Amino acid sequence: MGLFLTVAVRNLLQAKRRTALLVTALAGVTLLLVLLMALSAGLTETMIRSATAISSGHVNVAGFSKNKPADAWPVLHGIEAIRRKVADLVPEATSLVVRERAWAKLISDRHSLFVSPTGVDYASEARLKEALVLAKESDYKKGGRDVVVGDLSKLAEPHTAVLFAGQAKRLDVEVGDDLTITAPTGAGRTNTLDVRIVAIARDFGFLSNWVTFLPRQDVKDLYQYGDDTGAVVQVYLPDPAGSEEVMGRLREGLAAAGHELMDHEPAPFFMKFERVAGEDWTGQKLDVTVWSDEVSFLKWVVTALDAISVVLVGILMVIIALGITDSMWIAVRERTREVGTERAIGMTRRQVLALFLVEAMLLGLAGTTLGGLAGAGVAALLDHARIEVAWDALRMILMSDVLNLAVGPGQVAWSIGVFTLLTGVAALPPAVRAARMQPVTAMHHAG
Amino acid sequence: METESMVRLKGVVKEYPLGKLKVRALDGVDLCIRKGEFTVVAGPSGSGKTTLLNMVGCVDVPTAGEVLVAGKETSKLDDRGRTLLRLERLGFIFQTFNLIPVLTAAQNVEFPLLLQRRLGRRRRRERVREMLALVGLEALLDQRPNEMSGGQRQRVAIARALVTLPGIVLADEPTANLDTATGMNIIDLMKTLNRERQTTFIFSTHDPRVMEHARRIVRIVDGRIAGDDGCGGAAERAEA
Ligand SMILES: Nc1ncnc2c1ncn2[C@@H]1O[C@H](COP(=O)(O)OP(=O)(O)OP(=O)(O)O)[C@@H](O)[C@H]1O
Ligand SMILES: [Mg+2]
Repeated sequence: MGLFLTVAVRNLLQAKRRTALLVTALAGVTLLLVLLMALSAGLTETMIRSATAISSGHVNVAGFSKNKPADAWPVLHGIEAIRRKVADLVPEATSLVVRERAWAKLISDRHSLFVSPTGVDYASEARLKEALVLAKESDYKKGGRDVVVGDLSKLAEPHTAVLFAGQAKRLDVEVGDDLTITAPTGAGRTNTLDVRIVAIARDFGFLSNWVTFLPRQDVKDLYQYGDDTGAVVQVYLPDPAGSEEVMGRLREGLAAAGHELMDHEPAPFFMKFERVAGEDWTGQKLDVTVWSDEVSFLKWVVTALDAISVVLVGILMVIIALGITDSMWIAVRERTREVGTERAIGMTRRQVLALFLVEAMLLGLAGTTLGGLAGAGVAALLDHARIEVAWDALRMILMSDVLNLAVGPGQVAWSIGVFTLLTGVAALPPAVRAARMQPVTAMHHAG
Repeated sequence: METESMVRLKGVVKEYPLGKLKVRALDGVDLCIRKGEFTVVAGPSGSGKTTLLNMVGCVDVPTAGEVLVAGKETSKLDDRGRTLLRLERLGFIFQTFNLIPVLTAAQNVEFPLLLQRRLGRRRRRERVREMLALVGLEALLDQRPNEMSGGQRQRVAIARALVTLPGIVLADEPTANLDTATGMNIIDLMKTLNRERQTTFIFSTHDPRVMEHARRIVRIVDGRIAGDDGCGGAAERAEA
């Protein structure tokens, strides 16, 4: 093997230009792949962070109740017992948060807007306090100052509201203004509630379009829900990767405790109203979901990015593979007599095959390692630079106003491994031809 | 008699396709080469010298007849079997030297030993040094082929052919690409090695001055043996 390596390395160094070209090309495409994977992973990370800050736990126990078949109220009775059961079933949970969910109209002096008012117990929302960043006045008000006004902790007081900057802009309101909230409460009646805006948070992409935070009691009052009710128990885990397993455990445990469960549908709760209203049952059913279900309408972004990456990197890799094949054809042709000599001296076909494959894969390893490390470096730098996303639409999709890239050493190693292997595959046809040459033909080959 | 003969050819015919025709490069050759011989295959251009050496060297198989090398019939072996036979029993010296350009003199000589995987690193290095000393190149251990003269390259090739201590060393016109003086040096070297180490040599040439040094000359014309002063010649055939 040492001999093969020596011969391979020296031959690669001998064909300097060819080697340099292919190493550069391989490095380039590996760098691109690592960057795109880092972007995809960063996007997923951002989504988990935003989703779990704003509208979901890692795992959620929510559901619907119906007095008559056409109803679909996103509210659970006996929420305290459910919360205790969840706590029993998921002892590793870092926190459990109970929230209210609703659908209502926000009305300012000039404009109105439909949102999903989310009722929170401010004291129990440590995560939300951390995740929400208050916007500068200039972010939502024309001629506003470059300072943050408002106070998130006032959400602990009744008749208050926290909006997102985009909503404030559309409603043309600022901190201290009053809003009227109107909500249909069934049987054609509508309730209203007046609240004061106590803080305005920076936008969080898509999710911040339709979520507004109110004190939990206000939402209950608006809908005249009883005391022991709530819309959802949000479960936070030490590691989001365990979400699916915990969901399964909860479904089993809650069913065993006598709760009716809805079939799992990977969609956010607000897309389930219609289906539930069309089902022929009354009473209450629980719906257990994971965070990715609640942002499944955004998953296409990651899927699309991954698809583009695969196609783009795939096309580039095919081109490079053809280049490698071609280059190895040249190498085999140039070294026909050398192969003949080696065969005559006693090298087997398999060893000749190995000789050329080792050479190609060495080239592959050099190029992809270079590109993989450079890609990881560039991704880390870009992430560190916290580059502002200038384009609004992109900011919506990214759910963040800075570019987030996450480099996994596993992904880099995977890229290097797969591309090096591909280099070997690309070199296979010329290498097989070299191995099949008869020693006589090879020896008497001119040149 | 059989134990002593390293190579035996019996009624060997070799035909090459040439369009729709066939060229008969060897036409019923009987030959026997014994240990320690120093044999020259001589004949005009196109007479079949290279073809004959290819048969003996197991790099090609006959169309008809038998070639026995170290007691094995080469056309009955598969490619791998012939390859191993070459590695273990034969040494090759080429007209165009055919060193591996990216390897140094020492590495070129070490090459067959590495393929054999029999000697450890230290024994290998010792053997390489010994062989290069034998051909008078101990000073050029780390030179690449393109830094050496033709004569030096052919010496490295001889060292490479001898390093596995093969039963037979084959050389197809080893002096054709060398000037006369260098060529004679190479022949002298081969002769010395033959005398002092009992290495069996068989080589082809059409240089009359080279032929003078031979102990045994096999003359070949149009693919047939026209004269042979050793075994396998007329005398032996009469015996059989
Ligand atoms: N691969 C081949 N295909 C077709 N014909 C061949 C092939 N190799 C040799 N021949 C023919 O076989 C005959 C013998 O060739 P060979 O090379 O053995 O002669 P040679 O004595 O070595 O000649 P030279 O002194 O020129 O090297 C010639 O007529 C040659 O044209
Ligand atoms: Mg010839």
